[in-house]
Amino acid sequence: MKSFFRMSYPYILWIALFIVAPMLMILLYAVTRSGNGTITFHFTLENFARFLSDPTFLKVLWTSLRIALITTVVCILIGYPAALFIANLPEKRQTLMILLLTLPMWINMLLKTYAWRGILMNFEIESEIKVFIGMVYDFLPYMIIQIHTAIAKLDRELLTAAYDLGANRGKAFLKVTLPLSVPGIISGITLVFLPAVSSFVIPKLLGGGNYVLIGNLIETYFLVAGDWNFGSAISLIMALIIIGSMYLTKKLDTGAEEE
Amino acid sequence: MRKLIEFRNIVKSFDGQVVLKGVNLNINENEFVTLLGPSGCGKTTLLRILGGFLEQDEGTVIFDGQCIDNVPPYRREINTVFQRYALFPHLNVYENIAFGLRIKKTGEDIINQKVTRMLSLVNLEGYEKRRVTKLSGGQQQRVAIARALVNEPNVLLLDEPLGALDLKLRKEMQRELKRIQQEVGITFIYVTHDQEEALTMSDKIVVMNAGEIEQIGTPLEIYNEPVNAYVARFIGESNIVDGIMKADYRVRVDDRIFECVDKGFRPDEPVDVLIRPEDIDIVKPKDGMMRGEVKSVIFKGVHYELMVETKTGTSKTVQMHVVTSHDLNNPQAGEKISANDFYVDSDDLENKEMTDADFISIANAQAWDDENRDISLTRVKHNIEKVPGVYSITFGTEKGTEITVKVHVVHPEYVEDARHNIGISALDFFITPEEIQESMAISTDLKTWASAEAWNLQDDSSVEITDVKFDFDPASVTEGSYEITFATQGREYKVETTARHEVGDRVGLNFDPEDIHVMHKEVADA
Repeated sequence: MKSFFRMSYPYILWIALFIVAPMLMILLYAVTRSGNGTITFHFTLENFARFLSDPTFLKVLWTSLRIALITTVVCILIGYPAALFIANLPEKRQTLMILLLTLPMWINMLLKTYAWRGILMNFEIESEIKVFIGMVYDFLPYMIIQIHTAIAKLDRELLTAAYDLGANRGKAFLKVTLPLSVPGIISGITLVFLPAVSSFVIPKLLGGGNYVLIGNLIETYFLVAGDWNFGSAISLIMALIIIGSMYLTKKLDTGAEEE
Repeated sequence: MRKLIEFRNIVKSFDGQVVLKGVNLNINENEFVTLLGPSGCGKTTLLRILGGFLEQDEGTVIFDGQCIDNVPPYRREINTVFQRYALFPHLNVYENIAFGLRIKKTGEDIINQKVTRMLSLVNLEGYEKRRVTKLSGGQQQRVAIARALVNEPNVLLLDEPLGALDLKLRKEMQRELKRIQQEVGITFIYVTHDQEEALTMSDKIVVMNAGEIEQIGTPLEIYNEPVNAYVARFIGESNIVDGIMKADYRVRVDDRIFECVDKGFRPDEPVDVLIRPEDIDIVKPKDGMMRGEVKSVIFKGVHYELMVETKTGTSKTVQMHVVTSHDLNNPQAGEKISANDFYVDSDDLENKEMTDADFISIANAQAWDDENRDISLTRVKHNIEKVPGVYSITFGTEKGTEITVKVHVVHPEYVEDARHNIGISALDFFITPEEIQESMAISTDLKTWASAEAWNLQDDSSVEITDVKFDFDPASVTEGSYEITFATQGREYKVETTARHEVGDRVGLNFDPEDIHVMHKEVADA
């Protein structure tokens, strides 16, 4: 056991160096004022206050959440029937379908988004719709794969049992397949909602310059305005929201199981 | 009793393999019917067709006077207890049982009342809120039964429901199931491969074999009057011996004629004769209808199970020459080589294409280097002819290490036992003490070394050599010649008795005419 544990040292080092340290730095930046010396820090909460008291920022936050939420819901609505359809195919075809689904994931997201921009340029659609199309296109495979996995590992005998107990196909689906695939939906949500809420490339490219989401906001403050402190604060707020929603979905998941 | 279910000529195949070959079967109301057979006999398929989960290729299922071939499973008044229970993991015990009632939109108060009654029927009061995944196998079993019965079906199908339980629990559930069936008074159709389960619970047993029904009857009928050796072997312990029906009430077994209670056979018809082990009495040798020697005694708890040999098998004795091996050393190549002289029979040379590899194997030829690594023998030279005589064979390696040994080509020596239709052959052989000491299974190795074989003189089919007799100690054998005797199985009877006997005792066997059951020979499978 001990020697196995030792094998994880490089990994721990990696995490410490590239995940924990940057996070701590973000935390540090978020609670300090610009113009820090190497030794002196001006601790302050005004970055947070600035964000929370400005309706413009809150509106951006709200838009981000709304778009992520709608994207997730649309992904479930399209993804569930698709996953169900695939799970009912013969095994070899299932593998092929999953392969086809994951194929676009191998292409760089920027490329895909540029392609969508080219396509959507010719249409007179609201920029928000364009953002949805891009987001759903990008995140849908994650949702389908998660739900498919959950449905595929369902014991077929359970459906037979449901028919045996008088359920027709519809009822068997509602009372057996659907509740038992909830864990798949939840991990699908985690995989779609979280990246969707912080995505900035898609809204930037498809939503036109004036369509600002929280991801864009962070990007702007870091790269354009050079205000790392405020950017860090926004990032931290985002992180808190993400952790909060992960906690909620987790709760929902175990809650469903314990029912 | 009223006929409830009728299978008419049900045929079903999967991927071209026929699993049901035209099954006809009637099942009455309130019967506990068991479909009994080994796995793959089609019993579960028949059950699934009745449940509506499989569609037959041919034939019709009549339920309560109506053809139900086109009725989907959810509209059949049949419920099933599945082999692996198939409980819904996301629902608790109460909701699992209520599942069928909820589908039918039953009122909450009625659901509550019925589920509670079911829980007490299967002795699971107080388990309502438990998660089914946290229950033991036996408890899950009970939930599965309750979940099916709560719908008040006319028929309950049970697909090997006790298969996953341990022996004690299985016995308990057997009694439980029988009680439940008597209490609710509906038809149970029970699928199992366990003959004891079938005997204890059923009103009617249907013995199936390879997609066909062999026999239908009460447990007593099936046990006492099996129609053929297959059924007899499947149900209970049995001695089944070949016999010839000389006349009504007279059957010949080996060279004795016994009185029996069976009639209606062709004169001199070959038959299978069944004598149950518990029907044979052990008496003094002079009082017995047959005499024999106790070959083995197994303690079974309430009784001993004896194997009594009444007739010895056919045997052949050969000489085993134990010689010390003469390894040849080739220091230049850094190799050693060894091989034994061997016997080979002229018929084998005639009939089989003996390859170099065969000779290497018979001579146990091997070569190895200084570090004990095996070296392959690439060269084999010999002057062996098919005429009996002494020849020589040389084995060699790539680097030129060689050994030459003698080959004795001999006339084949058979012992043919015409009375029992058995032939047996074996050859003398050379062997080193080391090889005997290294043997993990000496009897099996002796058979291989001596090329011992036995066969049926009529159809040439192979007969097992069950007995290898020798009088040396494999651990400390020295150079010299030893006699080895190979023998086929004699006539043995399994006897159950409460009296104690020792291996080697001479005993007499007695049984009454009504203890003998004569059966038609099974028609050989086409």
